[in-house]
Amino acid sequence: MSPNKHEARLPLAFIAPGSTVRLAAFGDEIDPLQREQLTAYGLAASRPIVVLQQRPMTVILADEVELALEHEVARHIWVEKQAAEA
Amino acid sequence: MTTNASGADAILLVGHPNVGKSVLFHRLTGAYVNVSNYPGTTVEVTRATARFDSSASLLDTPGVLALPSRSDDERATMQALLNENSRCLVQVGDAKNLRRTLTLTALLAELGVPMVLALNMHDEATARGVTVDIDRLGEELGIPVLTTVATGGEGISPLTHAIAQARVAESLLRYDADLEADIAQVAALIAAQCPHPHLAARGLAILFLGGDTAVADWLRSQNPACCGQLEKWHKIAVDRNQGDLPARLARERTEAADVLAASVLSRAVRSSPLWSQRIGQAVVHPLWGIPILLGVLFAVYEFVGVFGATTLVGLLEEGLFEGILNPAFTHLVTVAVDVPWVQEMLVGQYGLWTMGMTYALALILPIVTTFFFAFGVLKDSGYLPRLTVIANRLFSLIGLNGRAVLPMVLGLGCVTMATLTTRILHSPRERIITIFLLALAIPCSAQLGVVLGMLGGVSFTAVLIWALAMVGILMFSGFLAAKLIPGRRIPLVTELPPMRLPIVGNVLKKTGSRLKWYLVEVIPLFLIGTFIMFALDKSGALPAIIEAGEPLVSGWLGLPKEASAAFVMGFLRRDFGATGLFAMAHSLSPIQAVVGMITITLFISCFASLMMMVKEQGVKIALGMVAVIVPLAFLIGGLFNIVLRATWS
Repeated sequence: MSPNKHEARLPLAFIAPGSTVRLAAFGDEIDPLQREQLTAYGLAASRPIVVLQQRPMTVILADEVELALEHEVARHIWVEKQAAEA
Repeated sequence: MTTNASGADAILLVGHPNVGKSVLFHRLTGAYVNVSNYPGTTVEVTRATARFDSSASLLDTPGVLALPSRSDDERATMQALLNENSRCLVQVGDAKNLRRTLTLTALLAELGVPMVLALNMHDEATARGVTVDIDRLGEELGIPVLTTVATGGEGISPLTHAIAQARVAESLLRYDADLEADIAQVAALIAAQCPHPHLAARGLAILFLGGDTAVADWLRSQNPACCGQLEKWHKIAVDRNQGDLPARLARERTEAADVLAASVLSRAVRSSPLWSQRIGQAVVHPLWGIPILLGVLFAVYEFVGVFGATTLVGLLEEGLFEGILNPAFTHLVTVAVDVPWVQEMLVGQYGLWTMGMTYALALILPIVTTFFFAFGVLKDSGYLPRLTVIANRLFSLIGLNGRAVLPMVLGLGCVTMATLTTRILHSPRERIITIFLLALAIPCSAQLGVVLGMLGGVSFTAVLIWALAMVGILMFSGFLAAKLIPGRRIPLVTELPPMRLPIVGNVLKKTGSRLKWYLVEVIPLFLIGTFIMFALDKSGALPAIIEAGEPLVSGWLGLPKEASAAFVMGFLRRDFGATGLFAMAHSLSPIQAVVGMITITLFISCFASLMMMVKEQGVKIALGMVAVIVPLAFLIGGLFNIVLRATWS
């Protein structure tokens, strides 16, 4: 699940609040159970994610599910910027 | 083969956390259970007779983030599915999160039990511009689908009709060919060697391959001989998928749910976020979150510490009990009872009425009532999950994550209940640290009220010293515990449910339900405690204990020697002990009041919470914690006595 195209993918923790991105992949550094948890929350490849804030934790909106992720996790979630923002 | 306690057909409410199952359960049964506004509150399965069908029992299962089960909550739900004589499943879903709801439907549909899908919180979906084509969704799934707003009672009657028409759902997907081959092989084995009376073998096979331990245990219990073959197939499938089997099954269900959701869902473009979203974001904002937190804490202090512990306690204790009830009851006992020691047992210094009932009803009841009401408002508003975000950095210093703030805050209500809810934490290490800190430095609502009532009467500085001492000890002890207990910290990932305006009726019902539970527990313990104090006093043991404890209590802590009695009471209940100090507040100096309250707060928890510690962690660990906590309480209390006498005039 590690990213193949590093130049096109960014860690979710680096994305500015207000941006919309698409999920590319979960890094292998994330615990398998926590990866399952993220999938259960609705995070799946190509799904859009709105970044709401980065401090004190990364807060995102996936569909209508608002999730707070510690940076330890968010920095291993790889995302791609939307075409308009890229 | 089933373990259905009532023997009646069961209707199971199943769904994600925080979708309104508990409120719906109340609407369908008339019984009230705690509304969960954050994951993990409903730890046990709740059962009651259905209002619309007295032959059926309705079960409120704990919220599941996903199946196969991983957490204790999910295992409890899976066990209910396995062990109940299920007539029907009512999947309660969040109308505005259809994709996620259907991901769970994709698995429940495979179990072969008649189902109904209730899309709850329809009002919130509408407010967000989310519209679901209900008729089409019902056709695609082949089951009754309807919308409800449980908090407002909307859609309840159609739901009871739909339950009567529940049908087995159509499968949402066919997995990839290699996965289907594994599922078919395992399902054939289950059907032949350990069939379930209600659940389809295919559904059990998918759960087993996904690593559901509750299903594996059930299969093992039915036919141990079959397990070897099942394990063999499981290993082959896992190896072929390079350990990614559960994730692959989950991804395919998510994709199927995605396709179906896209075909029935429309979303209006919104120009601006809703007010509830704005407030929700402000509450976890790095700048605004802290003043909002301080404001919330101040409001709780004013309501519980000032209004509950001062105004209401004053009215009840001085006005009602000391002014009217106690003189009347004392007169009645004096006239009706000839035996002096019985008179003393009922209305003496350690009388069952004058001490036990007066403490329980005049001092504690108003405090816990106001606390439970305030806690209910915070919980139903959606503030508590956001507190985990604010608290995360602080808790990371003690090897925990922000999720641990939930048991800690619940501990401010009842440490016993909070000890049980440490099950929401993800690792044994987190549970041990949290239970230790709960037992050491978290005062329960009754004790908190007594502390606030007593120290609030001294000065704000006294309250501040006590609060800073508790936070400091909590952090330092947690820091040391995190260093000493092996294991790694799990980073926080949590859902933030929408902020909502709490419905006063629901909060009042919940407060009433909690008070009933509290009084049933507390009044017998207060009466037993009072009787033990009476027996110790009459036998001469209490004066001897007070005498023996004098060097520690008077010499080291600097308290009057009579305070020893409060510590003896504290062995029975921590709040009982604190109330004992509260009762002698007029004879204590400000320093004595602060030292006394710090020591009694750190003292071991009540007997009930000690039993809960034993249940959750075993005798060895629980006694180990007590062996650390009791000397630590006196050590720290004495150090504060020395420091405060040197610095606080």
